Amino acid sequence: MRFGGLLLGSLVAAATTLAGAAYAADTIKIGFNAPLTGFAAADGKSALTGAELAVEQANASGGVNGKQIELVVYDDGAKPDQAVPVAKKMIGQDKVAVGVSGSYSGSTRAAAQVFQDSGVPYISAYAVHPDITRAGPFVFRTSFVGEVQGRAGAKLVGEMLGKKRVVLITLQNDFGKSLAAGFKEKAGDYGIEVVNEYQYSIKDRQFGPIVSKVAADKPEAIYATGYFFTAAPLVKQLRAKGVDAPVIGQEGYDSDKFLEIAGKAAEGVIITTSLDRDSDQPETKQFISAFEKKAGFGADMVAASGHTAIKVAVAAMRKLDGDVSDPAKLRDAIAATEDLTASTGSISFNPLGEVMKAVQVQVVRDGAWHRHSVIDDTALLAPPAK
Amino acid sequence: MGAYELSLLTLIGINVLLALSLNLITGFCGQISLGHAAFYGVGAYTAAMLTKAGIGFAPALVAGAAGAALLGLIVGIASLRVRADFLAITTMGVGFLFLGVVRQQEWLGGELGISQISESGLGETGFLLLVLGLAAGVFAISLYIKRSWMGFAFDSIADDEDTARTVGIDVARYKLVAFALGTAIAGVAGGLYAHYARIIVPDAFGFTVSISILAMVVVGGIGSTVGVLIAAVLLTLMPELFRFINDYKLLLYGGLLLLTMRFSPAGLAGLARLGWTAGRKAERRPA
Amino acid sequence: MLYLDLTLQGLIQGSMYALIAVGLTLVYGLLRILHVAHAGLFTLGAYIAVTVTNAAGSLLLAALVAVPLVGLAGMAIYRLLYEPILHRPPFVALIASIGLFICMEEGFRLVFGPYGNSFDLSPVEGSVQLGALSLQTVEAATIVAAFGLLGALAVFAGRTRIGVAWRATVTDPEMAQSFGIDTVKVRYLNFFIGSALAAVAGVLVALLNNFVEPTMGSVPSYKMLAIIVLGGLGNVKGTLVASLALGVMESFGTIYAGHIMDRDAIAFLFLVAVLMVRPQGLFGKA
Repeated sequence: MRFGGLLLGSLVAAATTLAGAAYAADTIKIGFNAPLTGFAAADGKSALTGAELAVEQANASGGVNGKQIELVVYDDGAKPDQAVPVAKKMIGQDKVAVGVSGSYSGSTRAAAQVFQDSGVPYISAYAVHPDITRAGPFVFRTSFVGEVQGRAGAKLVGEMLGKKRVVLITLQNDFGKSLAAGFKEKAGDYGIEVVNEYQYSIKDRQFGPIVSKVAADKPEAIYATGYFFTAAPLVKQLRAKGVDAPVIGQEGYDSDKFLEIAGKAAEGVIITTSLDRDSDQPETKQFISAFEKKAGFGADMVAASGHTAIKVAVAAMRKLDGDVSDPAKLRDAIAATEDLTASTGSISFNPLGEVMKAVQVQVVRDGAWHRHSVIDDTALLAPPAK
Repeated sequence: MGAYELSLLTLIGINVLLALSLNLITGFCGQISLGHAAFYGVGAYTAAMLTKAGIGFAPALVAGAAGAALLGLIVGIASLRVRADFLAITTMGVGFLFLGVVRQQEWLGGELGISQISESGLGETGFLLLVLGLAAGVFAISLYIKRSWMGFAFDSIADDEDTARTVGIDVARYKLVAFALGTAIAGVAGGLYAHYARIIVPDAFGFTVSISILAMVVVGGIGSTVGVLIAAVLLTLMPELFRFINDYKLLLYGGLLLLTMRFSPAGLAGLARLGWTAGRKAERRPA
Repeated sequence: MLYLDLTLQGLIQGSMYALIAVGLTLVYGLLRILHVAHAGLFTLGAYIAVTVTNAAGSLLLAALVAVPLVGLAGMAIYRLLYEPILHRPPFVALIASIGLFICMEEGFRLVFGPYGNSFDLSPVEGSVQLGALSLQTVEAATIVAAFGLLGALAVFAGRTRIGVAWRATVTDPEMAQSFGIDTVKVRYLNFFIGSALAAVAGVLVALLNNFVEPTMGSVPSYKMLAIIVLGGLGNVKGTLVASLALGVMESFGTIYAGHIMDRDAIAFLFLVAVLMVRPQGLFGKA
């Protein structure tokens, strides 16, 4: 026991010294947690690259009142239990001025609670769970709540595409479930009849049984939630089976990897997302080209979201002339963000810290993402306010 | 101590509880379990639901332990039917069943889990002291059991069930005791975890978690209370120590498991024993 | 019609399971090791297939490289990892195997990147018509490969000298040794064949999804354990039947019980239920 206690003490001490990077007064630190290992590592890497790009751009344009920005990056493996120590480390040791989540809902929710309790602002880049911002006033989100995007999906399918008999293929995790919930909530309003709903796990890549059943259901459209690594095999298998009903997806599809895996089967797939590939906005255009140059592959929604979240944080710090000593003031500056032009649109927050912006609808044409339409129905897209 | 050190120590305490609880079942009694995270999960969900419903933290912890022990008893009864590798796979199955069912229960938050779990009311330091106190308690109990008649019975069952039976040990009864005790402690650890992370999702109690608990027991040296304690501390700290090389930390973790088993199959305890005897031999031999 | 289609889909999935699980059950039968890292070899096969096809433009060449190479990798794992710890309790090898599997997954991520890889040009397209049922060429190939290869394996084990030696060793290693069989050679052969079959499954899955990723072995890694237990550990025929049965169960379960529990839970419910009634597995000897 004595030996154990001694070892424990010295290891903790070692962990502390190893990790305790020197605090330099001429830089401002932004904490960033993302899944860099495990099943979500692809999204984590995209988000991180987007965030790094935003930091480089900000530093190149003078930093914050002459101070350089430093991104402090931690892997959370998309796991809540890893996110808690990571968040505490960013706040307690690295003394970050603000934290940004480039991670999924579970870990973001856990970290958000820690940031809120410590009174340090925290911005979630692309996690969908509604409870994230409910942690308290210090927590913000620059992407859509799952339900909101699901509602936009219902409008897209029922009203804009005029498809009424719809099958849902739902990914069994917080992302898929909250999107499907939003879709079903508004389905009736647009005259949609949900014929059937099938569920699959995030580990599934073979959808034989579901594809066979959907072929027998003969729907007019398929609303399938998922990420590019589940959705691309799904779409490919649906088309191979001869199911040609339009497939409607969401931001999880939004990656060039989707096009690469699904190949010809990707043609005509429509998604709701927040990155418009055919945007006329210089900010978005410039982001798309700068990202491709930095990363060596095409920009995606996750990357743009990481970029946007950092941009919001930097803009707020600039408003304070780089004086980030009072986290409460920084929080107020972030909350006051109004019509900030970012790669994912124009950013303003509601009282809960949820973003209010238009939903971009993209379609695959000739092997690339293109603009289909924009949904800008503020009543439909109103995020929860409490 | 800063917030980070506090939270890290708390996490270590919870993992020590988990590792020692599995050590009772697998280490002492020889019943391999690949589904220990399920009991951890039952404790976490029970305690979280109760404190959210306004019940106090202490009774919620106890209820979590009871819930876990109940499931533990059921699995223990099942374990009487199957042995060795079959038991390993059965317990793995129980883990997947638990997860698969919880995922689909809307009243348990489904995939979204339970968030905004109330605080323990002890403050961060108080909570840490509670966790460490419980871990120390279980450590002491483990040492005590090992020396008691029950420890002897466990040992003989782990060694050879049939022989144990012929010398008059009630094998079934002792197996059930091991399962009930071990899973109850895992349930306590679950309740603590729920009020530490203050959010729980099904995946926090998945197969990989079961494996990492088993890894602590095996790397420590199966059955060695001190070894398991050290391994639990080490394996919890490892990802934290290697955070600065995010990209390689899992690789290192896997490598550690692999190399320990390959070169010191009796775990850290075996390594220590080896060093001890080598040292004594060296002493005896004049230079 | 739909039921027939679902059954067929289940058989395809089951054939895939069988190709992977047979190697695992062979290893267990011979050495009593739960060889979790086997799933890493499946992933390795898939990665080699995609990489070589993209580099050389020939799927056939890729398969000819992937299958024996993975077989050799399996032999190396036996020699370097398992052989030295054979006399230890079984969980030692299990944890070592899990450690190796983690290292392999991380290795794939570090070498090939976290995004996963695809074929530049999908090498196999088209579908096969079976009466009113249509299935993709790759799906048909999966069933043919599983039955063909496992059939060939049965012939090999039953008709050739080395095959008989192999079976004898699996049944009773000590007896086999006393008859002058080189049991060490048998073990190498065992790992080679089992790993090569996993590589075949890897190539087929890569084709079916047009996607390989570092974590693609995680599902087979544990589900295969359930299958070999159901099949009666060490029993090849039992494993084939258990694989197909599980494939069909999952196929119907996904559609009709998906809202109660997920696909994994369905598989393990089946497993636990069977073990409670028959603790030695569906086809195990008591």
